[in-house]
Amino acid sequence: MADSEMGEATLERKLAVYRNLDERFVIREEKYKGQQFSHIYFMRLHHMRSQLQSLIPNWKPHLPVNTVLGLEEGKECIIVGTLYKHMKLKPSILDEYSKERSAIPLVKPHNFMSTDDHLILEDESGRVKLAGPMLAPSAFVTGIVIAVHGKETSEGDFFVEDFLEAGLAPQVDRPLDSREDKFVAFVSGLSVGTNAFNPLQFQLLVDHVTGHLGDENEQRISSKIVRLVIAGNSMHISHGFFSGQTVAPKDHAKLTEPIRELDIFLTQLVAALPVDIMPGCNDPANYSLPQQPLHRCLFAGASAYNTFVSCTNPHHFELDNVQFVGTSGQNIDDLYKYSDAKDKIEFMERTLRWRHLAPTAPNTLGCYPYVDKDPFLIESCPHVYFVGNQEKYETRLLQGPDKQLVRLISIPRFCETGVAVMVHKQTPLSLSLKFLPPVSLFLLFYLCSLTLGTWNAMRSVSPQICKCDCGYPMGTALGSSMHTRLCSYFTGDILPLPISAFFFYLGRLFSPDCCNF
Amino acid sequence: MSSGDIKGFYRQKKKNGGVTKPSSSSSSSKKSKSKHYTGGASVGAPSAAPTPALVTRGGAIDLKEEYGDEEEALRQFDMDMKYGPCIGVGRLERWERAAAMGLHPPPHVREVLVGLASGSTACSSKFKCLWEGLV
Repeated sequence: MADSEMGEATLERKLAVYRNLDERFVIREEKYKGQQFSHIYFMRLHHMRSQLQSLIPNWKPHLPVNTVLGLEEGKECIIVGTLYKHMKLKPSILDEYSKERSAIPLVKPHNFMSTDDHLILEDESGRVKLAGPMLAPSAFVTGIVIAVHGKETSEGDFFVEDFLEAGLAPQVDRPLDSREDKFVAFVSGLSVGTNAFNPLQFQLLVDHVTGHLGDENEQRISSKIVRLVIAGNSMHISHGFFSGQTVAPKDHAKLTEPIRELDIFLTQLVAALPVDIMPGCNDPANYSLPQQPLHRCLFAGASAYNTFVSCTNPHHFELDNVQFVGTSGQNIDDLYKYSDAKDKIEFMERTLRWRHLAPTAPNTLGCYPYVDKDPFLIESCPHVYFVGNQEKYETRLLQGPDKQLVRLISIPRFCETGVAVMVHKQTPLSLSLKFLPPVSLFLLFYLCSLTLGTWNAMRSVSPQICKCDCGYPMGTALGSSMHTRLCSYFTGDILPLPISAFFFYLGRLFSPDCCNF
Repeated sequence: MSSGDIKGFYRQKKKNGGVTKPSSSSSSSKKSKSKHYTGGASVGAPSAAPTPALVTRGGAIDLKEEYGDEEEALRQFDMDMKYGPCIGVGRLERWERAAAMGLHPPPHVREVLVGLASGSTACSSKFKCLWEGLV
């Protein structure tokens, strides 16, 4: 409930019907019996091949579809298979055992592409090297299923004349009802526990989303936020703890402190609105995709609320029949290491066109060895596709040939940029909220409110008095509420003492005659 | 389990001796070695006697007499690439998976496997694929 601080009218937060569709990512009955990854590739090939085969008649109906083993030299045909990209610089476990080490650079490059990369197409019967200028290896990765049209050359390669990707999956129609505005807020990369984490910045976000900040207009916007999704990397456990050695008692606090701090913030959030929290690569969850939900026992305070939902990574949910799908960033980061595109949004577009959330799994991205399914296949195109833990906020509206409309969002790391994203549920519009570094923000508002308050006092207009005991007049309601919040900080119950002392003295600097109006 | 044949097999080995091999048996062992790939157990056996083609599949020596039509049908099901890789999945599970994918696997394979499930436990190796324990 977002109570207005000034008036008596209470604003009610909007509600939306939520359906969690993570069931296919949860590992429940699967048992590991020593199987390898051949089964997940088989399932992927089978599923994608049936989809491509329904598209081939619209593409090139006159050509026969062959298996790789059935290729004849010089005969034009279409083959469907899984792509494998042979990369010289891709790190391999066998390099540790090779005698000559000079070829492998000790410093790992961020991107493993080289000009020698080539593509190979593989199906159950065999594999064939793909040649020709049509397929640029830098745009493809291992693990995607495509159809190629061409012919076998005398060297045994397959010369590609054209290729077909599955394209965007069919989309369920977006519901056209409600004139109401509803927003979904996304944030990722909080990294509680690192030096980059700024508790004041996150507290600002919490206050804004829960409606404790601002005048009625601001609170009205906050009341339209129906859900907050935390897309991964909410906490950071120092990697020194992962060495396998026992943790000394004096280090116990360092291990649990980030989790407890996050729980305090989360409890404030879940008391106000439904929150979905996803695991990321730095969170205490399993490494391989799909990452299982963070355990309830980590969040002693927040898990008591039924608005707290711990989700898998990737996360698929539905709000008022609008489909949201997203990950914490590992799939796009892996694509970035093994292929090239002009921005991260283009990688996201490609995964949608290939109808697979994480095509490099299990090749270079850890993945569970499923036997009877591949859960990352995209059966129906989502309406909103988000990826967390990226460098900057980017968004694009993707239009498909069958009237599909997808809003692609790249969510930046909050600890670095202070940016959260709000998505309008209906028209796929998104905007970013920037939470400025608190010092400048407070200074700004303080100065404005101070000026206005002084001006009002000089004109004998009754100023808006701050609710705290200091009686300091602030010119704007926003400034007034911020001052109230700051006064609560002065008591030191939210911030540690040195920081609140800093703000106290800063406040004194600008208002030497506090409580003197 | 035809234990008589095993005893016969061992008896033949003792007759030909351990370290010193008479020339006749060495030539026959060479012949038998060229005929059958996993050589270990076929040392010293005469070429006329049927020697096991596969050793230690699921821990038991697989003798050709047991390898009947049922096992042949199961192995053909294993090797069929249409239903995907066979290693790492049990045969029945693979059959169920193929049926769920709409590939129409041969129904008599399932009947054999279900029949074995209700039968004796000595044939538990039939539920594992051909390459189980070997790869």
